[in-house]
Amino acid sequence: MPAPVYLDHSATTPVRAEVFAAMEPFYGPKFGNPSSIHRWGREARAALDEARERLAATLGAHSDEIVFTSGGTESDNLAILGSWRLLRDKNVGKRAVVTTPIEHKAILAASHQAAHEGAEERILSVDGAGLVRRESFDALVREDVAICSIMWVNNEIGTIQPIADFAQRAKSRGVLFHTDAVQAFGHIAVSAKTAPFDMLSLSGHKIGAPKGIGAMYIRRGTFVEPLQFGGSQNRGVRPGTENVAAAVALARAAELAVEELETEMPRLEKMRDYLQRELETRIPDAVVNGLGAPRAPHILNISVPGTDSESMLMALDMSGVACSSGSACQSGTVDPSHVLEAIGVPRELAIAAVRMSLGSLTTDACIERVVQLFPALISKARRLAGVAS
Amino acid sequence: MSRERVLVAMSGGVDSSVAAALLVDQGYDVIGATMKLFCYGDEVSDRPCCSLDSIDDARRVCEKLGVPHYVLNMEDAFGRDVLRNFVSEYARGRTPIPCVRCNSFTKFRDLLGKADALDAKWIATGHYARSHGGELYRGLDPAKDQSYFLWGIDRAVVSRMLLPVGALTKAETRARARALGLHVIADKAESQDICFVPGGDHTVVLAKHLAVGDAALSRGPFVLRDGRQVGEHEGFARFTIGQRRGLPGGYAEPMFVTAIRPADRAVVIGPRDELLGSGIIAREMNWLVADAPGVGAQVEVQIRHHASPAAAEIVRVEGDEIELALDEPVSAISPGQSLVLYSGARVLGGGVIEAGRAVGGMRVARAQLPIFAA
Repeated sequence: MPAPVYLDHSATTPVRAEVFAAMEPFYGPKFGNPSSIHRWGREARAALDEARERLAATLGAHSDEIVFTSGGTESDNLAILGSWRLLRDKNVGKRAVVTTPIEHKAILAASHQAAHEGAEERILSVDGAGLVRRESFDALVREDVAICSIMWVNNEIGTIQPIADFAQRAKSRGVLFHTDAVQAFGHIAVSAKTAPFDMLSLSGHKIGAPKGIGAMYIRRGTFVEPLQFGGSQNRGVRPGTENVAAAVALARAAELAVEELETEMPRLEKMRDYLQRELETRIPDAVVNGLGAPRAPHILNISVPGTDSESMLMALDMSGVACSSGSACQSGTVDPSHVLEAIGVPRELAIAAVRMSLGSLTTDACIERVVQLFPALISKARRLAGVAS
Repeated sequence: MSRERVLVAMSGGVDSSVAAALLVDQGYDVIGATMKLFCYGDEVSDRPCCSLDSIDDARRVCEKLGVPHYVLNMEDAFGRDVLRNFVSEYARGRTPIPCVRCNSFTKFRDLLGKADALDAKWIATGHYARSHGGELYRGLDPAKDQSYFLWGIDRAVVSRMLLPVGALTKAETRARARALGLHVIADKAESQDICFVPGGDHTVVLAKHLAVGDAALSRGPFVLRDGRQVGEHEGFARFTIGQRRGLPGGYAEPMFVTAIRPADRAVVIGPRDELLGSGIIAREMNWLVADAPGVGAQVEVQIRHHASPAAAEIVRVEGDEIELALDEPVSAISPGQSLVLYSGARVLGGGVIEAGRAVGGMRVARAQLPIFAA
């Protein structure tokens, strides 16, 4: 069998060699605790401070606006619950949480938790491409909102929301605005200077850093209630001895991602567009999900009527090609994606969705292989489905 | 030469785990699959997402064996083909066996479709039964034989089935599991319950799926054969033919449920001899042999799991309906249970019991039987 093809970069990415090299000393001689006063501590503290500065620079932020977390889920939870709880306790009439139906579960579940704690949950309406409707935003994002969160780039279909615009509108109403930028960062330009969001989540392992590290941008003057309590690390917002090695890794990965944005993204986009065109030609009734809005360059979500994701993913896997569908349940089953459901994809197509996400491992040869293989597997799946019915 | 691929249905239990391990040893290209068939929902708090523990167990076994493992969401199909029928059968006053339909439809039809999609020539399970030459046979361990649950599968599928533990005893299977290092799995308690019935109380499942106030779970009379009412019960779906538990007391001899009449919600009770039947009518007859026996043929039949086979004669075959006359009366012929026909260890076919008859059907006179060439 030819070498396996990894087309699931939106799930996770390999740790880059430069990143691994940058973090390695902190698993060796530079093992100190950054809160210690001695030389080992100072060494670790310096590395952590530098990592914070460098990460901040990639975001157009100040270093005191960066909080290191365990990843995207923690950052998202901290944004939603931290804002909601703080404002609830202030008793200033801000009791609503606003988000979209196509968020990652980390936002949706945190929002449900806020509702469980007494918040009013409001869900914005999206169009067939996943774009939040302006009129819905204007109707739901009122002064009584504690926090509004909109995902910058959707992880399943790649839709890019006009975050600068929404952040500005929220700001003008005195509403805190958060964006989950886990899929946006490193794929499109993301800057706290050009978009007035108050908070932003990002995750290391989507951009070549290890799993278990993420960050949250919190604009100066914005406050959240911590989710856990302890020491004064991360200014008390996120106590616990910092994961120095991973923070260094995240900063290095972020720098590389931003440096390469101008070259790497056109490369991915070209391959993605070629893949899409070829699949659409070879499978005339294939449907690309999420078209009709600006789309991140690395994601292709495609459904072919008469097939099902589960069987396609297994057949692709058996042929050495790694893709995914929308959301995977904890048990590993493939359930129809809540994102596709929300943008009005018919069930027959939603259960057939296959997400291909390109990244550092993707080459023209990988794409060519999928161009050949995918239509063949589709024909076979349809033949079997025809036999069964 | 590339190895032959087999999709193994793995529940996380010892039997299917050992089945997978044996197939790996035999050189097959094994893929493990665990079917997610239903969701306990919020009712069973220690199972947050649908018997996740068993999925984890199956995955760990596959990891140890070094083979891929997939979780297949088959909730819709299982709900349609198995759960819905389970509920409607009880609502009709019958006692269904969901495992039979799960084998017929979910495992050996729908899962087989997944095997096709993966180019797997074979499909394997941890059933105690054997297949060779395109035919199905009882498992070698009479205490564990599960062929009773397999009569409904499509005959063409039998030649694609691998049932590696069918030639082992349960003790041997456990020993194999230990030898393979699958200690936790090896020492798991035997599961006797129906997988989707938490705690073994089927009325919990019925209550969830039936309308509030459905007759099957509403108060009705206990009556004797002569029609006399002798008490009240809380729903006929709580009873099964042959049941003793929960009946009115005060009789000289032990009383049993002898019939369930949904029309007037009655549960008929009577002494042991009223349970006896000499004839059986079954429907949905499915044959697993090319030379299906016809009217006049002598066969052995089994009317429940773990019953001893009883000698009988086929007295009528009409479409997928069959009628048999038993040589000796048997006790508690329960509509909804399976009737499975055997010739020794060979499974001939089976059907769903429609009714028992107190007197056997008209037998074909011996002298009129056609004489085949000797």
